[in-house]
Amino acid sequence: MSAPLLSRSLAAGIDQALADRLAAIVGPRRVLFRPSELLTYSADALPSYHVRPGLAVFPGTRDEVVAVVRELASREIPFVPRGAGTGLSGGALSDGAVLVCLNRLTRILSIDGENGLAVVEPGVVNVALTRAVSAHGLHYAPDPSSQAACTIGGNVAENAGGPHCLKYGVTTNHVVALTVLLPSGEIVRLGNAEGENDGYDLVGAFVGSEGCFGIALDVTVRLSRNPEAIRTLLADFLSVDAAARAVSAIVATGIIPAALEMIDQATVRAVEASIYAAGYPTDAAAVLLIELDGALAGGGLERDVRTVDALCLANGARTVRVARDEAERARLWQGRKKAFGAMGRISPHLVVQDAVVPRTRLPAILERIQEIAEQHRVRVCNVFHAGDGNLHPNIAYDASDADEAARVHLAMRDIMESCVAAGGTITGEHGVGLDKLSYMELIFSADTLAAMCSLRDVFDPERRSNPGKVVPVHACREWHMSPSARRRERATETT
Amino acid sequence: MIVAAATEVDAFRERIRDAAAARPPLRIVGAGTWLDAGQPLAGTMSDTLSTRGLGGIVEYVPGDLTLTARAGTSLAEIRAVTAPEGQWLALDPHGADEGTIGATVATASVGPLATAFGTPRDLVLGVEVVTGTAAIVRGGGRVVKNVAGFDLTRLVTGSWGTLGVITEVTVRLHARPEVDLSLAIRLPARGDAVDAVRLLLRKAPFTPHACELVNDALARQLGIGDRATVIVRVSGNAEAVKAQRDLLGQIAEPREVSSDVWTRLRAADSANGATLVFRLSQLPSRLEDIWRAAMAVAAAAPDTLVHATAMRGVVRCIVPASAHEGDVGPVLTGQSTRTCVGERLPPSLWQTLNSAVQRDGGVARLARGIKAAFDPARVLNPGILGEPL
Repeated sequence: MSAPLLSRSLAAGIDQALADRLAAIVGPRRVLFRPSELLTYSADALPSYHVRPGLAVFPGTRDEVVAVVRELASREIPFVPRGAGTGLSGGALSDGAVLVCLNRLTRILSIDGENGLAVVEPGVVNVALTRAVSAHGLHYAPDPSSQAACTIGGNVAENAGGPHCLKYGVTTNHVVALTVLLPSGEIVRLGNAEGENDGYDLVGAFVGSEGCFGIALDVTVRLSRNPEAIRTLLADFLSVDAAARAVSAIVATGIIPAALEMIDQATVRAVEASIYAAGYPTDAAAVLLIELDGALAGGGLERDVRTVDALCLANGARTVRVARDEAERARLWQGRKKAFGAMGRISPHLVVQDAVVPRTRLPAILERIQEIAEQHRVRVCNVFHAGDGNLHPNIAYDASDADEAARVHLAMRDIMESCVAAGGTITGEHGVGLDKLSYMELIFSADTLAAMCSLRDVFDPERRSNPGKVVPVHACREWHMSPSARRRERATETT
Repeated sequence: MIVAAATEVDAFRERIRDAAAARPPLRIVGAGTWLDAGQPLAGTMSDTLSTRGLGGIVEYVPGDLTLTARAGTSLAEIRAVTAPEGQWLALDPHGADEGTIGATVATASVGPLATAFGTPRDLVLGVEVVTGTAAIVRGGGRVVKNVAGFDLTRLVTGSWGTLGVITEVTVRLHARPEVDLSLAIRLPARGDAVDAVRLLLRKAPFTPHACELVNDALARQLGIGDRATVIVRVSGNAEAVKAQRDLLGQIAEPREVSSDVWTRLRAADSANGATLVFRLSQLPSRLEDIWRAAMAVAAAAPDTLVHATAMRGVVRCIVPASAHEGDVGPVLTGQSTRTCVGERLPPSLWQTLNSAVQRDGGVARLARGIKAAFDPARVLNPGILGEPL
């Protein structure tokens, strides 16, 4: 886990001739081939991995993307699609393959306010979409913490979540249709924006496929109506357990908060010591950030606020504060959304983990995480989507200290195994990528992994799109050789 | 509550292996309440494989708002277990609660509650299936948020048993609201009334649990009058529900009706002995177009029952057995201006519908590839989703 040396295992066929050919498509400034230029693209937001792509290409239009991918197909060269590079699972890392960067495709192609739909190119930044549709009284609901930088294409690949997914659902609940460029260069239209979709849910299969099924050329998303009013509450507790009980009590009422986030003391202190200070009480064991939204008429929303307030107090909250205005609300949220940034002050590196447990297991798992931290002598902070049971334990450390890095790695593995043992899963929103390959066998059988591999083969029989990610190949029976490679082998045998 | 299901699942695997070795193919059924739905199976013979004996709740922790059940568990059993905890599975597919959770997920069937809660694709968290190669494959899990691996759960949901026999399902539950009120509002006689209702709901600061427009024949059958009517299900705390009711009063005076109206609506097909059921869909802004197309069917075939899920842009037509196929054929072929999905049709009309559908060649190839990967010998419900599948 110590920062590995930059390897450069160039895939066959990546050479100056290819660079020239791609430059003819996208322009010479849009192809990076020199090792020094590629350094920037050797990592995503996860500090633990550094691998260098063989080449990076930056198409600026849909036609250029298609031409680039067809060129790569004709040469049988592997590639990795990349959005903004904000991923936290190493999913957009390319070890010697061609990196196809989609962040220049930033056009919003259409907005249909009447039906709450928008068609966007993959490089549109998440928050830019919400800004563009706000005049229609709409927003794009999935809001990962990186929303100011991450792209819709990347969100689709990862099936990204965010705090407001508790009420509104994750990316897959908001994508209705896709135009997909298959790795072969063929274009297919998945889903139906104008009515029901019968047949297999290919949109559902593509969302969350982490770049292994091809590239989304455009995405039709469902937009959500802006709530008439929003109330943001901050409740602070003297024990994590009490905060977790309050979470369960709120959810049990039938009120679905727009967001329900927990921030532990270590995180609160990091935030309060940073420029993102939000006014969280630093002596609390945990704070809950609770957002309720709805209609004002008749006082229905205010009733819900009173109910949640009372439930927090009944479960041991010391104080419950309701943001008085938009400025205070923004400040409370900034502390949450920038928590990882604030943690960056503590140590040079930060590893953010992502796991899910059934909500009722939260108190037990938080206690277990603390034990694991003590055992491995690392400092774990927790800031997470409590309403979903989606944990984000994170550890600030120094990656250049090999001993510390190794302890961090062991602690993370123990945390992951504990979450799985509690009936949970290994990722709720960050994806498997490279980082969680080794955990896949904790939750899926060989037959299930093989089914995933065969599904991937339908979209990408040559296995050239984001090779080596998501499914540990060794676990898939009969998957060591791609169908096309087998065909080639058979052809060789017969000649 | 754990069910000893291993032997049942093993028996399924045995049956599937036998079928793969020697045919005939298997028709997968749940409670058997909807056997005439879907296209006729390819070939002349098939054996039945029923999941009905594979019942029981596997795990239910109310605080997690999730439930895992064997495929043969009826929706009624799930309701009976969750209701005392103040929770429910917000799925009300057409038919009755005697239907199984496995069949509901396999067919991705929805009812009026889809307005607020979405389709099974939004509510199913995990599935276990036995594929056409007798492999046991599990997608998703038992938690509400999960992106581990490719999304086999969504792929299987709505695949009509063609990729695997569903043996277990985990679903997301919801807590029941404080108030759950059903209202009937007579649809004004104005020509633009359907669109006015849609626009009112689009601008309203709330989403009702359900909102169905029903035609006069269906209103009569539901016992809520003899004219086209809007039935709405509003929910929340008492203050919010009162405000919602006031707003809906802009259409016409709302009348409170028993929540039984939803049960009767779901049972409407069996009540009029329908053999022909299909849905038209379009963008919600074009609801009026598809409503009018359905009204044309109702004019040609008297006693046709029609209901529209206004906010989803879906109109469902339930045509009595006495109708002539010629009255219905034309509405099935307008695929360029709307989507038509068949539920129950005679073979000749399936043909009419299939020939009107313009499928993207690449999509058809992907679908065939997926079928071949999960069921290479084509033993599971072959043809029920149309010829290639």
